[in-house]
This record gives sequence, C-alpha cells and structure tokens, in this order.
Amino acid sequence: MNPEELDLISRDEAPILDTMRRIYSAVPVHHLAAIHGKIVGALAVADAIVDALPLIHGPVGCAFQRKLNPFNLSSTFYDTPCTNLNNVDVVYGAEEKLCKGVVEAYERYSPRLIIVITTCTTDLIGDDIEAAVEKAMEMVGCPVVYSTGDFVGRSRPVGIQDALYAVADQMICRNEVEKNEGSVNLINSPTQRNALKFQEMARLLTQMEIKINKICFDHTTTEDMMDLARADLNITGYRMPWAELMKEKMNVDYCKITGWDRYNKKKDPELISPYGIAGSCRFLEEIARIMGREGEAEPVIKKNRTATEARLEAASKELKGVKVAVPVGFSLNLLKDIGVDVAALVYRTQTLSHGLTERAVREIERANLSLAELYGFHPELLVNPTPDEELKTFRKLQVDLVMAPAKIAHFYNREGIRTVDVGDFTQKKLNVGFLPSIELCRVFREALGKAKVRSPLLDLMEFDGGISNLTPHWAKTALSFHHLRSKNFRDGYYYHFQGLAGVELNEHNI
Amino acid sequence: MSTIYDPLFDCKMVGALRAMHGINDCISIIHGRNGCHCGALLLQTLGSEQNSVRVLTSGLKASDEVYSGEERLSSAIRLADQVFEPKAIAVLNCSAPVIMGEDVEGLELLLEGETRSELVAMDVGGPEGPAWIGYEEALTKLVSRMRLNEDVPRGGINLLGFKADDLCSRGDLNEMKRILRDQGLPLNSVLCGSSFEEVKKAPQAELNVLLGGDGLDCAKAMEEEFDLPYISVPYPYGLKKSVQFVEMIGGALGREADPQILEMERERVKRTVERAHMFFQGIYSMPVAVVGESGRAFDLAEFLSSELGMDVKLLAISSSNFATPEKMTAKEAHYQKLMIEPDRWDMNRALEASGAALIFGSSFEKRIASELQASLVRVSYPVIDEISLSDLPFAGFSGIAHLCEKIINSILTRNKDEVKA
Repeated sequence: MNPEELDLISRDEAPILDTMRRIYSAVPVHHLAAIHGKIVGALAVADAIVDALPLIHGPVGCAFQRKLNPFNLSSTFYDTPCTNLNNVDVVYGAEEKLCKGVVEAYERYSPRLIIVITTCTTDLIGDDIEAAVEKAMEMVGCPVVYSTGDFVGRSRPVGIQDALYAVADQMICRNEVEKNEGSVNLINSPTQRNALKFQEMARLLTQMEIKINKICFDHTTTEDMMDLARADLNITGYRMPWAELMKEKMNVDYCKITGWDRYNKKKDPELISPYGIAGSCRFLEEIARIMGREGEAEPVIKKNRTATEARLEAASKELKGVKVAVPVGFSLNLLKDIGVDVAALVYRTQTLSHGLTERAVREIERANLSLAELYGFHPELLVNPTPDEELKTFRKLQVDLVMAPAKIAHFYNREGIRTVDVGDFTQKKLNVGFLPSIELCRVFREALGKAKVRSPLLDLMEFDGGISNLTPHWAKTALSFHHLRSKNFRDGYYYHFQGLAGVELNEHNI
Repeated sequence: MSTIYDPLFDCKMVGALRAMHGINDCISIIHGRNGCHCGALLLQTLGSEQNSVRVLTSGLKASDEVYSGEERLSSAIRLADQVFEPKAIAVLNCSAPVIMGEDVEGLELLLEGETRSELVAMDVGGPEGPAWIGYEEALTKLVSRMRLNEDVPRGGINLLGFKADDLCSRGDLNEMKRILRDQGLPLNSVLCGSSFEEVKKAPQAELNVLLGGDGLDCAKAMEEEFDLPYISVPYPYGLKKSVQFVEMIGGALGREADPQILEMERERVKRTVERAHMFFQGIYSMPVAVVGESGRAFDLAEFLSSELGMDVKLLAISSSNFATPEKMTAKEAHYQKLMIEPDRWDMNRALEASGAALIFGSSFEKRIASELQASLVRVSYPVIDEISLSDLPFAGFSGIAHLCEKIINSILTRNKDEVKA
C-alpha cells in the first residue's frame, strides 16, 4: 500500500479481531504439537497480496485441508484451486496439466499474479516446474512465479520465506526500474498485515526527510510488490532472504529491525532490542546514517524523545516499584521506560533449542542479565522452572504482576497474582518508535486495575505438571511430536520418554 | 472439463482419519510430512472434543524421502503404544511415503506381537482418491479385526457411517440411541463411534444400518464374512425421516414400530412448532441452499423443503458416497439445482445466482455467505468455527427443535445495519 493510505485503515482496531485471534492462541500448533507445512506459508504470501492467486500443484487434499490457516485460524484461505493430481499424473508427470492449469486459473480468476505452489507429490515426481511455468506465462497476461520450498534453505517460516523469495527473484528483480530516490520500504510479515504498526515510524522517517516508498503487508497489491524495487532501502522486521536478494540484484539496501548482529559486533547488551526509547533512537539514527540524513534526524529524534519522556513521567507514576516477572525475550528497554521493577526473569530454553545452539542460548541469558543490571534491575533468574518453583519464587519476591498470555493466566490468578497479557500489544503496537512505551504503560496500568479472578473454571481441569498450559494428554502429544521430529532421533529413545516430561518442553510464559 | 479444481472435499487420508479417530481408544499416526499432520490435527482440534484428539506424526523428514522413513515410523508406533496405551493404532500412509513405496502393511506384520495395541495400516496417498473412499476403505479394513462369537446370540444393531467429528455428532448419536431404545432396538456397535473392542464385536449384531448410505463397502464385507444383513436408512433429519429411520430398522428386523411412541414424538414436535409458529410461518418459502456430504445433505434438503416449506434453490454435494447416483435420480427432487462435488468457484457462482438467503454448509462457506449477505447455518463437515457443548442433536425428533432454533435465530440475530441494501 501507499503510505498516504495509512489513515484509511481502521479495521484492525475492532476489539473483536483481537479476540478472534486470541481465542485460538491455546491451540498448540507452531512447533508445539504440530508444524504447518510450506504450502500454508506460501498461501499466506499469496493471501497477503490482494490480487494474487495461489495455484497448488498437487492433489485435492493439499488444496482443501490447507484452507485452514494456522497463522490466523479465524480466517481460512478462500480460493485454493489445485491441479487435482491423481495416480496417472504421478506416473506420467503433470507438467502439461500445470501449464493448462495456469492458463485456466488466469482466465477464471483474472489475477494480477499467479503463485504456483508445489507439494510433496510434485516435488517427488520431479516435474519441471520452471519449464511449465515459463510455457504458461506466454499464454497469460500476468506474472507467474513458483515456490518449491527449496530457495531459502532453512530460513523460517520456510513457506513464507520461499514464496517471498520466489516473488522477488522471478518478478520484482528486473532491469528497468525508475528509482524513488531517498526512499525506504517498511516491511512486516505477510501474516501480520498491519500497516498501522508502522504509522509512527513512517511519520518519524518522513520528518527526517526520508521518503516512504511502500509499506507491506496491508492491502498490498502486485503493483506494490513491483514498486518495492524503486526504494533505496528495505527495512524488515527480521531476516528475509528475499531482501538480501534485492540487495544483491537490485542494489536495494537492507536493514533488519531485530537481529543479534548489532549485539554480536560489540557485545553491548543495550544493542539487543530496537524498541523502547533507547532502542528506537539507536535504530532511527542507524537508518539516518544509511540514508545520509543524520543532520535531519537529530532534532526529530530529540524532540520526540523529550516529549515522550515527559508523557511517561506522568503516565507511569503508579507503576513505579511494581514488581514484575518477565519472560526472557521481552524488551527490557520498554520496561525501563515505564518504570516497573523487573524482579524475576523467566527463561524458557526448551523451544529455543530447536533453532539455536547451546552457546547462543547461554549468550541470550548473559546478555539479558547484563542489560537488566545496566538498567538497575536485579532480577532472580529462573531457567525452565517448574510451575511450583515459579510460584514459590514469585511469592518470595512479592511479585505484583506476571507477564503471561491469557491461556495460562488462570494458573497465577488462582494464587492471587495478577497477570498482564502483552500479546495484542506485541502483535499490533510493538515497533520502532516512541508511542509503544506509552501504550505499554496503559496496558500495565489496566492490568493492575482489573478485578482479581478468584476461581477460574479452568482450575477444575487438570493441567500437566511440566507443560502447565496443556492437559496431561496434550502434553504427551506435544512431547511425542518433539521427540519424533528430533534431530537426535533414535529408535528406542521412547523408553526414556516419561522421564523427559516436564523438562523437554515448557511453553509457560512464552 | 477444467484442469484446475478448488475442491469441496478432502483427500483419502482425512476420510480414513475420520473413520479411525471415531474409535475412541485408537490413536492415528500420520506417516507424512508436517503439513498433512498439522492439517489433520487441526481438523480434529478445532471442534468440541479437544480433550480427545489422538493424532500423532511419524515425523517424516525430507531426508527420509531419500533413505526411507520406515524406521522413524516404527519408532512412532512403539512410542504411541507405550506412551498412550491405545487399543488400536491406525497408520495412515500419506502421499510422499506412498510414492516412495513405504511398506506400511509389511511393517504392520513385522510389529505384530511386539505392540500391545493392534495395528491398522493403510495407504491413503492424496492422489489415490477422495476422502469418502478413504472413509469406506478404513471401515472395511476393520472387518478383518472383527470376531463373531457363535456361542453368544446375536442382538442389537450396528450404525455404520457415523462421523464423530461432525458438529453435534454426540447429540445425534445420543438421540438415535434414544429413539431406537424406545422402540426396543438396542445398539450393538457404532462405526465409528465406539471403543475398538465394541467395533470388534460388531458381527454380534442382527443388522447393519447405514446412515445416509455411508459404510456400504464395510456392510458388504460384513455380510459376506459374517452373514450379517444391512439396510441403508436416511439420516434422520426432521419428523418424517426420523419416523422412517425407526420404521425401516424395525421393518428389517421384522418388528413394527410402536405407534404410541411415535405419536408422542409427533405431539412433542407439534408443541415445539406451536411455541414459535409465527416464525415457522415466516421462514416458509424462504430461498435456501444446502452444501454438504451426500450421506447427510440429501436428507437435510428434503427436511427443509418438505417439512419447513423452504425453497431449496441449490443442493451442492460436497462429497459423494456409493448411494449418491441413486439419490440423484430419485423421483421427487427436493431442490431446484443439484451439483455433485462441484468446483468451489462454480458453486459460488451458482450460490450467487440462486438468491439463497440462508446457506446450510460448512465453515468453508463462511466467506461466500458473507459476500452474499446470507446467513450461514453450520451443519456440514468441516465445522471449525462453532462448537457444541450442550450435546443437543440435529438428528431425530429432538433435533427438530435444535435445527429450527438455529435456523430462525440465524435470521433474527442478524444486525440489519450490517447488511447493506
């Protein structure tokens, strides 16, 4: 979408939309008891480009079942045509069918972009997708790209990263592009589609005389995607191989909002988070440097910082000294801004071990503790505590507020401890800028003012002692899932399975 | 004929899963890639039985596609056996391992005796067929596990074609049990909505009863193997079909249905209608569309048309069964237009043209209903955005009140201001 359209967006503000998202938050997908496949990720990309059409090259199940959208279970993927592969196609190949399918899809749906998504079946039978797509492209009036899941290695989520890479490689990167000099693209995840999150950042950059070329993803069209190539810089939320490709092929520079690169260079814990007043100032200065606008940026940052600090001074009065238990991973910068006391840091490493080395896991711990000390917090660190250990420590420390998602809030509430769920804040507000600190202040004040929940019905149920957000049955299901997918999988490991319960995985507080 | 197809039905794996997951002490292992497992798990989880989801993955990875995933699968089977202690383990071999030539039936033989639970393995690759074939094959696969004890007299009936993951299925089953019990017709086993032990004892019944024609292959196999007769009955939506349901089953067993009980049920339905008769008058002639599986949707359309007086403009059969061809050629059609397993795009155009104000369908019809500003009554599989905790049925005499209140409320509760002129 174009930046001037930002004011038109209001649909994401309806509280029911948050509730619709939240009601599914306890469903244990996303590496807990299941992982969606690459098709769903690619469908999420096709869905985020409003005039694009996915075409699934596979059998009917891959089209029907994948209508379920694990990124947003309240909304299914609507149009999911497929090439309806059968056993004959498996034997003789389905390239011709794919070619015809692309043409038919174009004639029927009139899309501006067709994204062909391959499936296990077509990957295994070895169809030459590229050749079929090239042939079909000669017969349709829109670009056709294909995603096989093989373009981006292990960059996650593979389906999303691969489809975006395919769009960049096969469509966006081209020779003749009229540049929009001095401009940047602001890019979030196709699964979020909330340009409002960039509203303040766009305003600040504009004040720094940096133009906004495009904001993705929110009402994003194929034309918007093509126009990404016109900017000088892509600003993305996290590592995106397609942005790296644009840097390589189109000389569009690339900057990630989050990432440990900055920290790793200097081992300075203050560089961990790009959020809050301090993190945002640093990040905005970094963008200004890349764009050659340091002079323009300085007064803008200073003015906004001063104004925010003044507002926070008044807004955060009642939060001073409030003892909070915080999961490692949440920005301590923001907590410093709102004046609470981080009394406990809870570090869940089990889910991290699937993507990070042991050394990285320890480095995160060290960096967060250093940052806490730097900010004058002296938290007690709890690494993978059992629920009982956690409660005992919280009582000892006289914790007032536990940062916990709604799905496990009852566990603390029944003990008389209040909770604050920052899920909506993280989804909708957390970004580079000064307003998120003020917003977080409001969220915490509201949480402290809420009536205490004394006897939640959820307490009638038995939850697992180890994975306390799941019932014992679901905990076993989740543990089985992790065990069976383990890299160190060996036949016979299951004999130790029961002994692993409670230490293998604990989603509490994450 | 089009090359592309946006299907209203799932693949063979999900049909088999629906059958096997209905056995309440059976765990299913999806031997396939992440996406197949995730989809299968979600379909079972996003409903009203979240405390009874029994779906595992074998953890098949890309590297296994080169070196074989049979070892991984055998470990998953052992894990399921030890950790969950089920009575049966269904191994569903999905597209990738089927193409790779994984021998799951061989594995079943290999592990025989090693696991405490019985293994039921089958190939359910996506390109091999639709969900309803998977459902039929899974039920048939169970026949080899059934045992007839000649020393015990036969009695009761089996219901075949029951789908435990349909919305309100628990209520439907309770209601069917009730009305059969009232007529002195006890249930023996439900395929699939029983324990594995009860499934194995299915041959002890006097009669197999197919709901809406689902489970025919299994019934034929049981007839051949155990000399057990079968009949197909309508899914008992509404008064007429509920009476038919009782009378046909009674008739097949040579027993006449108790007219007094049926009269009491009629009287109960009458009182229901009386309580909101003005709204029943109001929905008369209303243009509606029905999207659903063959084993349910034909009977639902007939109830809506013949008993509520609704004008069924379109009946779209999302998934066939062996009885579909016969139903298509029935003398009296209770719909204006019939589509069998249409492409979703074509069906949506037909829905637009139909002028239906109310759509009876699945969660996947939510958007077209919204686009057409029609109300959506969720009755067809899959329903993933509505739950049923009160165990009220759609089926049987008691189901009439529940269905009608859903229909009427779906209209009364609409906010007129949200519907554009």
